[in-house]
Amino acid sequence: MNLKTLWRTLVAGAALALVFSLDVGSAQAAGGDQKFNSVCAGCHSIGGGKRVGPDLKGVTDRRSEAWLLKFIKSSQTMINSGDPDAVKVFNEYNKTPMPDMAQFSEADIKEILEYIKGGGGGGAAPVMAPATPAEIKLGGELFQGIVRLKNGGAACNSCHHVTNDAVIGGGVLAKDLTEVFTRVGGTGVGAILGKPPFPVMEAAYKDAPITPEESRALVGFLQDVDKKRAMQTPKDYGNQLVLGGTGMFIVLMGLYSFAWRRRKPGPVNQAIFDRQVKSQ
Amino acid sequence: MTLPNLFFFVGLPYIAIVIFLVGTIQRYRNTGFKVSSLSSQFLEGKKLFWASVPFHWGILVVFFGHLLAFLIPSGILAWNAQPVRLLILQVTAWAFGLSVLVGLLGLIARRLTNPRVKMVTTKMDVFIELQILLQTVLGLYIGYAHRWGASWFAADLSPYLWSLFKLDPQITAVSAMPLVIQLHIINAFLIFAIFPFTRLVHILVAPLHYLSRPYQRVMWNWDRTAIRDPRTPWSEARPRNN
Repeated sequence: MNLKTLWRTLVAGAALALVFSLDVGSAQAAGGDQKFNSVCAGCHSIGGGKRVGPDLKGVTDRRSEAWLLKFIKSSQTMINSGDPDAVKVFNEYNKTPMPDMAQFSEADIKEILEYIKGGGGGGAAPVMAPATPAEIKLGGELFQGIVRLKNGGAACNSCHHVTNDAVIGGGVLAKDLTEVFTRVGGTGVGAILGKPPFPVMEAAYKDAPITPEESRALVGFLQDVDKKRAMQTPKDYGNQLVLGGTGMFIVLMGLYSFAWRRRKPGPVNQAIFDRQVKSQ
Repeated sequence: MTLPNLFFFVGLPYIAIVIFLVGTIQRYRNTGFKVSSLSSQFLEGKKLFWASVPFHWGILVVFFGHLLAFLIPSGILAWNAQPVRLLILQVTAWAFGLSVLVGLLGLIARRLTNPRVKMVTTKMDVFIELQILLQTVLGLYIGYAHRWGASWFAADLSPYLWSLFKLDPQITAVSAMPLVIQLHIINAFLIFAIFPFTRLVHILVAPLHYLSRPYQRVMWNWDRTAIRDPRTPWSEARPRNN
């Protein structure tokens, strides 16, 4: 492999990569209503009352367009820089961060704001009846995967932890859901399950949506978890993983040593080398 | 969808795969005899065993684990449906990851301290070992700090990798992943890109046929006079010096 070949390879690779990057960059155009309903509606209504986040009816009159653009692009940046209005909204809504809408260009956001200004079709949030014990049980089983989600999605505990003795410790990739019911309420949880506003969760359930019945059971389970959280004493799975893994590794070393117990003690020509080194 | 994300999760993987393919073919065409592990077992064998064996068994299991989660994500999710099976999978994966780490640290130490091995060591050998070390440490940390990776890999990263192969990259999920996971992914692409210029090429020429071919008997003619004497019977005993 000489330098010239390496250079040619690099150039070819870079050219190909550029072609694909440009292709992805040109996002498909879709109307403001479609964008609102597929992304924003999980947490916001237009005239339907508070959900996870505020009701957006009239938001374009309350705040300037520049402020809205900045907040929608990256609310956390704005909060960290100490914008008083942003901090106020953040605190008012239980410090649940609004995900950065990196997938939207400025033109996309303006389209959405246009849609909100027009009154939208947000409607009232549905009122839910309390979950039955059977539903709570089903919710727990769905949460840890013993009962698979109908469309084949990953179980919730792949990424989420809840402090609850009925299920094994969940993942720690995403937020701890023990108090999610207090934070966003049943409607909020249901809305997030229906149309996940977080990119990682959205991608995971894009081709495997959670059905309304499953969503109901999960909301019931999470409400139950929230209620009983003080009385739970689950195990620490993180440290158990390390301990178990280390134990198994020691067993592995034993296995390696046993499988190769008739190995040669060293290179076959060790004696020759040693003689040469000695005579030097 | 920012520019760095586009570069690292769309541009870089395609650059890496092109360099991997073109580079490997060129290396084979130009210096075919160097497509090997360039083994140093003849120079030092005792320490090599305690480093190479844990490293290779570890990395085989870990690599094929990742490959399986990429190829059959729904199968992995079905396996993980029972918490006990999920725990078995994660603990096993972590144990083999630890095996990689310990083996690799041994290999690096041996390469840098044994004078005979040091003599045949190139800068690239040290570089690729450090790069794999970084990858292993990141992987073990992710296994511990962002646990149940077997499940979220199948749900989120497998679709991303497939989207690359379908020439329709979907990077919103991977762009929102924690930084350590992104680094693990980026470093994996970099390992693919540097692959043809390192001794890693031996992966492609692993002598798998050794497993199925009939074994060859190596004769050690200990006493030549006796061996040549037609009255000496063929010995069934194991040669003394082997």
